[in-house]
Amino acid sequence: MVSLDDIPVGTTARVHDVTGADPVSIRLLEMGLTPGIEIRLVSRAPFGDPLELEVRGYRLSIRRHEAALVSIGDC
Amino acid sequence: MTPSPLTVALLGNPNVGKSTLFTSLAGIPTRVGNYPGVTVEEKVGRFVHRGRQIDLIDLPGTYSLTPQSPDERVTVDILHGHMTGVRRPDCLIVVVDATNLERNLYLVTQALEVGLPVVIALTLSDIADRRGIRIDADELAHRLRCPVVRVVASTGEGIGAVRDWMLDAIGGPPPRPLALSGPNLPVDPGSTRSPAAREAIARYAAIGRLLEGISSTSRPALRLTEDRIDAVLTHRLWGTFFFAAVMLAMFASIFWLAAPLMDLISAGMDGLSTFVARLLPLGPVRSLIVDGILAGVAGTVVFVPQIALLFLFIAVLEGCGYLSRAAFLMDRLLVGAGLSGKSFIPLLSSFACAIPGIMAARTIENRRDRLLTILVAPLMSCSARLPVYLLLCGAFVPDRAAGLPWLPLKAAVLTGLYALGVVVAAAVALILSRTVFRGPPQPFVMELPGWRWPRPAVVFERAREAAWSFLMNAGTLIVAVSVVVWALMNYPRDDRRIDADVAALRTSLESRIEATGSDEPDWGDLVAERASLDTPAGVESARRGAAQRQSFLGYAGRFIEPVVRPLGWDWRIGCAAIASFPAREVVLGTLGVIYNLGDVDPGEEEGATLLERRLKAARWDGTNRRVFTLPVALSIMVFFALCAQCASTLVVIGHETGSWVWPVVTFVYMTVLAWLGAFAIYRLGLFLGW
Repeated sequence: MVSLDDIPVGTTARVHDVTGADPVSIRLLEMGLTPGIEIRLVSRAPFGDPLELEVRGYRLSIRRHEAALVSIGDC
Repeated sequence: MTPSPLTVALLGNPNVGKSTLFTSLAGIPTRVGNYPGVTVEEKVGRFVHRGRQIDLIDLPGTYSLTPQSPDERVTVDILHGHMTGVRRPDCLIVVVDATNLERNLYLVTQALEVGLPVVIALTLSDIADRRGIRIDADELAHRLRCPVVRVVASTGEGIGAVRDWMLDAIGGPPPRPLALSGPNLPVDPGSTRSPAAREAIARYAAIGRLLEGISSTSRPALRLTEDRIDAVLTHRLWGTFFFAAVMLAMFASIFWLAAPLMDLISAGMDGLSTFVARLLPLGPVRSLIVDGILAGVAGTVVFVPQIALLFLFIAVLEGCGYLSRAAFLMDRLLVGAGLSGKSFIPLLSSFACAIPGIMAARTIENRRDRLLTILVAPLMSCSARLPVYLLLCGAFVPDRAAGLPWLPLKAAVLTGLYALGVVVAAAVALILSRTVFRGPPQPFVMELPGWRWPRPAVVFERAREAAWSFLMNAGTLIVAVSVVVWALMNYPRDDRRIDADVAALRTSLESRIEATGSDEPDWGDLVAERASLDTPAGVESARRGAAQRQSFLGYAGRFIEPVVRPLGWDWRIGCAAIASFPAREVVLGTLGVIYNLGDVDPGEEEGATLLERRLKAARWDGTNRRVFTLPVALSIMVFFALCAQCASTLVVIGHETGSWVWPVVTFVYMTVLAWLGAFAIYRLGLFLGW
């Protein structure tokens, strides 16, 4: 499965799932990264980490470590 | 009988204009501090509406009532009345960012389940209008079964309505929750998801249904402009470039713009001291007031310009949405040291002064990162270390190139001292984050809020509040420390012993002059020092030096001599190091007094030259061996680069962390590191024959 960390900048994709039941995964869901939602990878910070996403009409920054928990389906 | 005051809590996500609404409703807060035992800011304001007194609590910004951070824990505890010393609120005002309705409603769905009356304030409605976001507030209120008020902070629209609805809601029935948690959670057969995950998904599904036909967005050019700004400012090259420029401007302002203001305050306090000194007769009372209390007050007030300027800057950056972008850009760099992007501004500011830097750590939401940042911030070489570095480098580092022809050795040593602080801070942060502060990984999810203009009222309030809380909370303690150190430096005092000491100094100088040939470099200095003892001012300076050597401080210096001997220090340097506990730069003035110069100002060229000459002429007691050599000077500089000799910093750490454990930890670890560093450089210097 492709994760959010693997897609190129500028890509729009659909969240397939967020793996894990730890606080990090729950917080990602609470921030709106729920299955089926459309997200866009807006940019990466100068050192490649963290990532800037657009989700549900707002901008969210998460680290690659967290992005790896988000699996991506087809759009 | 007047009805009892009501408690109303402001709940909302971070960056939704909660502070602005707080100021609009209640004005300047009546109480700002920390909740007991936790590093979470408590802010309470008071206002009267329709004859009822209302205490307004500004809860920490939170994304969810499923608490993951101490801030969120505090919020949940207050909402359920489990916070000791805080009354359970009678009503909740949930602040909702109209430009980001969907995500903000997540918290609303949870707030409706708390069992308290809810009023929803749709903030940033003007920006939502401009972005073409249309929200049918009446229909939303109907579907949520609670009042929804459009608020525009700049015009005051909706503020009165929020107050009215708030009073009307109190006493009425609590809203009907959307029934999404616990047993009401929709079952998802065959799902392996945890209940918490299913709850989050169900809430967003419910929000989707709730918003059907209520909110529509046309995406006009403005949003595109914003995207373009964002694309440039988070760009690898341009974003980094712009970031460096902003940081440089911020650092320059607290380093240089604050300087004339600080000079003005110092001059004013000097004037006040002189004035008070003229009113009082010479004696212990005058000394206590002038050298103890007023010196402490001056040492406190002098930080205010830097604190206010830094917080002005931070409030502007925060208000326009750049603060999060700055953290975004720098995050990777600091993660390597166990910190996070938000640590950058506090640490950078600490190069000017650790006090505003430590206070700026308030912008770090994550408690672990905040504490780590606070603990290592004092390792950054602040402007108070600079005079120490400059004097000792100037006097004892030889004038030659350091390997490369264009690099003077003095500059290399100075740069090395700054680099030392950074490297040690990174190492300490890394070690602490892997040991003491090890714990489950904390989510790094940071919203990058939309670009907007900062509101001047909020910006100035932020700066005023920071300066005020420093003066009120830290100021008193700093004055107390100043008085204690004053007492240690002035007592006990025995005039006969002082006279005997001055007489002994005269004899020792005379015998040294005899033993020294007139062609030796020290001869002139010795003759000048001997001659000064024939003037009243010279005798007074010598008496002051003797008094200080015989005070508790002198005893303490001799007592710790075995500890500082391995660093190449004599007991006088030990004394000066102890006396510099209130502030590092005091070490030079204390050395001046101990070496019988009286009050010299090492900040001025004349004072610095005098002090330099006197230090160069200093000898170990009863020998002809110089005290100050290059290895000793390096050892002192390294010690001062790493030590925690700054009472104000320790007081502020205590205040900001809400615990006296952390200043003690900081003092101990920094002093140990300073000693080890000084020992290492001294031994290395001796070994290499510097």
